[in-house]
Amino acid sequence: MKNVRLKVCAVTAAALVSLTACGGGAEIEAADLTAAPEYDGTLSILTKFGGEPLSPYFEDLTAEYTSLHPDVDFEIIQETDQSIKDKTKTLVASSALPDIYFSWTGDYADKFIEGGLATDLSAVLAPDSEWGSTFGAASLDAFAKDGKYYAVPLYNNGKFMGYNKALFDKAGVAVPATFEELIAACPKLEAQGVEPLAFGNKDGWPGLHVLQQLFAYNVPQDVLEKDFVPATASWDHPGYTTSLEEFQTLVQDCTATGSDSNGVLYSTAQQAQSAGQAAMYFQEILEFDSVVTDSSKITAEDFGIFALPAPEGAEGDPAALEGSPEGMMVNARSPRQALAVDFLKFVTSKANAETLAEAPFSQPSTIVGAVSESTASPAVVEGVGKLNEASYLLGWLDAVTVPDVADAWLAGGEALVSGSETPEEVLSSVRAASDSAE
Amino acid sequence: MRRHRRTRGWAWVAPALLVLGVFVYLPLLQNLQYSVMKWDIYAGGSSFVGMANYEKLAGDPVFWRALLNNSAYAGVSLVCQVFGALLLAALVEGLRSERWRRALRAIYFVPSAISLTVAGLLFYFIYEPELGILNAALRGVGLDSLTQAWLGQEGTAIWAVIAMSQWQGFGYSTLLFAIAIQRIPQDLYDAASLDGVGPVRRFLQVTVPLTREMTGLMIIVTLSGAFQVFNEVMVMTSGGPNNSSQVLVSWLYRMGFGRNDFGYAAAIATVIFVLTLGVALLQLAITRKRRVEW
Repeated sequence: MKNVRLKVCAVTAAALVSLTACGGGAEIEAADLTAAPEYDGTLSILTKFGGEPLSPYFEDLTAEYTSLHPDVDFEIIQETDQSIKDKTKTLVASSALPDIYFSWTGDYADKFIEGGLATDLSAVLAPDSEWGSTFGAASLDAFAKDGKYYAVPLYNNGKFMGYNKALFDKAGVAVPATFEELIAACPKLEAQGVEPLAFGNKDGWPGLHVLQQLFAYNVPQDVLEKDFVPATASWDHPGYTTSLEEFQTLVQDCTATGSDSNGVLYSTAQQAQSAGQAAMYFQEILEFDSVVTDSSKITAEDFGIFALPAPEGAEGDPAALEGSPEGMMVNARSPRQALAVDFLKFVTSKANAETLAEAPFSQPSTIVGAVSESTASPAVVEGVGKLNEASYLLGWLDAVTVPDVADAWLAGGEALVSGSETPEEVLSSVRAASDSAE
Repeated sequence: MRRHRRTRGWAWVAPALLVLGVFVYLPLLQNLQYSVMKWDIYAGGSSFVGMANYEKLAGDPVFWRALLNNSAYAGVSLVCQVFGALLLAALVEGLRSERWRRALRAIYFVPSAISLTVAGLLFYFIYEPELGILNAALRGVGLDSLTQAWLGQEGTAIWAVIAMSQWQGFGYSTLLFAIAIQRIPQDLYDAASLDGVGPVRRFLQVTVPLTREMTGLMIIVTLSGAFQVFNEVMVMTSGGPNNSSQVLVSWLYRMGFGRNDFGYAAAIATVIFVLTLGVALLQLAITRKRRVEW
């Protein structure tokens, strides 16, 4: 009997050990990206184009590519802005990262590069290469590390104040030139029975976007870049406290929801402007054509944009803007890297880039000349123009620094909105998170 | 012959043991292993850090807040989904009209048939500060001073989530208690009535003791569930604002999938496992001792 038990235990243990040993991926040799690909096999893609109106973009392109190369199939995973981070980490942890996958810039991209998951595309994508020269140089540089190019930037993005010209005219308010003028305009707009600034901070990041733009104005660029890296961070520049105070003023004086804004979805705020109930809404270029639609009350003629105005005498750079391109990386462990690159060349061809810029997709492509009056709405063209004119682009606060610090900012931003913490308390939490992440 | 039988017995249970080992006990052991490691999912490497993740856990204020929120969740759930549901089931089963009994059972059960995600979204809109019907109702009866962003304020967010969860879960508990009450022989109630026992004493001295096993089971299920709550928090608040509505599992998820700190997430998972296992063992011991036969 004892023998039988031992045998059962041994067999079970052997099975368990063999199962636990089934992990990890085989090392893949670096592919020659300049060579012609083998048009055969299944390419997997992870996009951030889940939901309408974006999801057909990659569906259409993959179908078209398959019609050109019948032996190539696709597996597409389409996620949303909210879900892509979690999905990507799940795929990374389970060694199932697709051949082509979405990435933001900053620390988010660095994780893939440092982890050996991003293919060095310099051989085909460097700015002086045939393909690389079709992109705006700044968008390529945003994904560069140590002189190497790791991602194909698909579209540019930036944050602007979208405003309703008709409501501004009715209230006798001009486009504010300074942050102080913006705050002074809010009571005049409110007197007209509209919400001056629609703001929904349920997910935390809308507040971070306002903060990051204020940081760009109040804190010098070199200090910011030092503070985003825990090893060199101190987060003690007085511009941070000023920014946090200005953010609180903006929320309290210009939004109807004030300290309740943490209970409001950002999409509810977007709809408030779309319905003509709010004079302003701080939004990404990608949102412009969602605010102004055929069914919205704000018309294309009445929709205007301006950069969040800089405070008077701010110590940072008043010409800096918050924004960054978003793009696609090629999995360094993929056995189909050359095919993945070929597909991405197809995606970023002039014709497909123009399709991306046109309605209903309305994404400002990074391909030179793809965004023009003939392909994009006037607001998108203006937004892209302003991004090109900016002295520098500062990436999203929740992507440029490490997750621990980004999380501390996320919680701190919510605490500032609800009024449960002072700017100094928030900064203290951020410093503690940065120190522990070091 | 006996030995052959035993061998055959082991052969029959071996597949089940293997499945249980691979899908239940192996992950448990692996979780313990991960909780003493630092793991970089991007580079694929891991290193042994000893008890560092547990030390970090002891000094993490959000972990303690999450534990407190789970405890509040457990306390409220015990009151509503166990004792409240038992009382409600006794009231429903005490009705003379079978038609009313059936109708009420169905009415109370409907919220449980709605998925937690859908219920969470539904309540998000009920709690919405500007457009939600809760604030509209308060304004309608002149209680404007009570209106607020229920999910957007640190003092109310977790309670708003707990309230939704009770609404969603109490119907199921009520139905289970109703079944337990139906199993009690009517003779016992008739005898108590003949002895002049009133409805309150009948409930306390007949219904409560004879539904003790179901009550014990419901306590285990409710307490274990309270320490594993996740969906409603993620749908309604994602743990915010300012981490005020974090619960253990949402914090675990945030640490793992938000901050890439899977070792720390595994340490939190171990705490959850120990808590739920402790609750289950304690309750099983208590109910076994106090089993009532009839």
